[in-house]
Amino acid sequence: MPFLRNKKLFVFLIGFIILVILIGYSLNNRDNPNTAEKFLNDVVGWGQNVIHTPVNFVTDIVANIKDFKSTYEENQVLREQIAQHKGLVYQVQELKKENEQLRNNLNITETIRDYNPIQATVIARSPEQWLNEVTINKGEQHGIKQNMVVITAEGMVGKVKTANGFTSKVQLLSGFDEYNRISAMISREEGGNIYGMIEGFDKETNSLLFRIIEESDTDIEEGELVVSSGMGGVFPAGLQIGTVKDVVSDQYGLTRTALVEPAAEMYEVNQVIVLDRSIEGVEESETEGDE
Amino acid sequence: MKRLYIPLLLFLLLILEGVAIDFLPSTVVMGNQLFTPHWVAGFLVLVAVLYDKDDTYFAVVYALIFGLLLDAVYAGVLGVYMFSYTVSIYIIQNLKKMLHGNFFVVVLLGVVGIIIADIMIYIIYLIIGMTDMFWQDYLFNRLLPTVLLNLLFMIIIYPLFAKRVQRWGNEQLD
Repeated sequence: MPFLRNKKLFVFLIGFIILVILIGYSLNNRDNPNTAEKFLNDVVGWGQNVIHTPVNFVTDIVANIKDFKSTYEENQVLREQIAQHKGLVYQVQELKKENEQLRNNLNITETIRDYNPIQATVIARSPEQWLNEVTINKGEQHGIKQNMVVITAEGMVGKVKTANGFTSKVQLLSGFDEYNRISAMISREEGGNIYGMIEGFDKETNSLLFRIIEESDTDIEEGELVVSSGMGGVFPAGLQIGTVKDVVSDQYGLTRTALVEPAAEMYEVNQVIVLDRSIEGVEESETEGDE
Repeated sequence: MKRLYIPLLLFLLLILEGVAIDFLPSTVVMGNQLFTPHWVAGFLVLVAVLYDKDDTYFAVVYALIFGLLLDAVYAGVLGVYMFSYTVSIYIIQNLKKMLHGNFFVVVLLGVVGIIIADIMIYIIYLIIGMTDMFWQDYLFNRLLPTVLLNLLFMIIIYPLFAKRVQRWGNEQLD
């Protein structure tokens, strides 16, 4: 009997050692999964796609019926808005044209604002909710690469964490930490833009932490728009991130942090757009995870 | 062919775990409570109690394989679910030798197995820094809702699969 008990202990200890080795291995190579992992993810992704499509179809129909009910009122409101927008659209077109002409004169054809959009659908969400990850149905075969930014119509939702062959995993903004920073800014009319970094997500207030690097003369006001600055080298510039909710000092009182309410809905993400920045960023090794 | 039923069902549950949370109403997902489906573990408890004989360990082997799959597909850190599920199912295997496999025993063991597995996952994630939840928050905001969700799952699958799993066990292992 003592022999048997020793054997069990032996197996348990070997299991524990294997656990430590596996964790160590995957923490080191977390961002580049090996071929077997990619294949597994694709197989499961295929299954998720198969199940997700009919269910999505049904929920779409329900949503459509709901939409029909409010169509008339919405129509009234939208008509008014369109009348206002018409003038604005004309103005924007003229400005765009002028901007393009001026750029052509200066021989600047590419800016960090340009990108190629890739449409994708969310097919699964990681059941481990500490991770805040979703799976989308496009992968390397469709041109998706690691660290690309993911947006919805409302604004930024996250970035591509790993790209498999036919599916990819997206890290949502609500799961961002100091290893997933975004270079962002608050645009001001008279120059004097405020630059900073989105450094993480605060669960209690449900807001992003925007650490201000360079303060301007005027204070940040509530409701100001935070957009990506494109200085991190991977994300395009000018993507809406959120609006300022509050400004607080950090624990040492040296820098100030703005609490930013994300513009995009983080929990009901269905259709997303992955953006491939047209202009090449700096070498990946130099960015060290700062986007 | 019949031997493949259980792995196929487990694989289906693994896929469903990822899709299901997307269809929960957003007020549930958005709140402080974290509902984590451990449906693979729940079904494995069913297999451990009703399918396995006293001297076979199919459920433990499945726990090892499907734990690793869950790690690779949903967590990205290998070994955590694999280790936790295997240990928890092994404990259940030993506990069931003392008890007769009826509805209440299966549901009770399912809850016990899921509590053991989830606490182990929490401790490992805490050590490697994947979560920084305080243990009291963990107990009320994650463990309790998770156990309730999976209790519901156990109550649903028992009438659907208990007879079948037992029959497969008798056919294949005798």
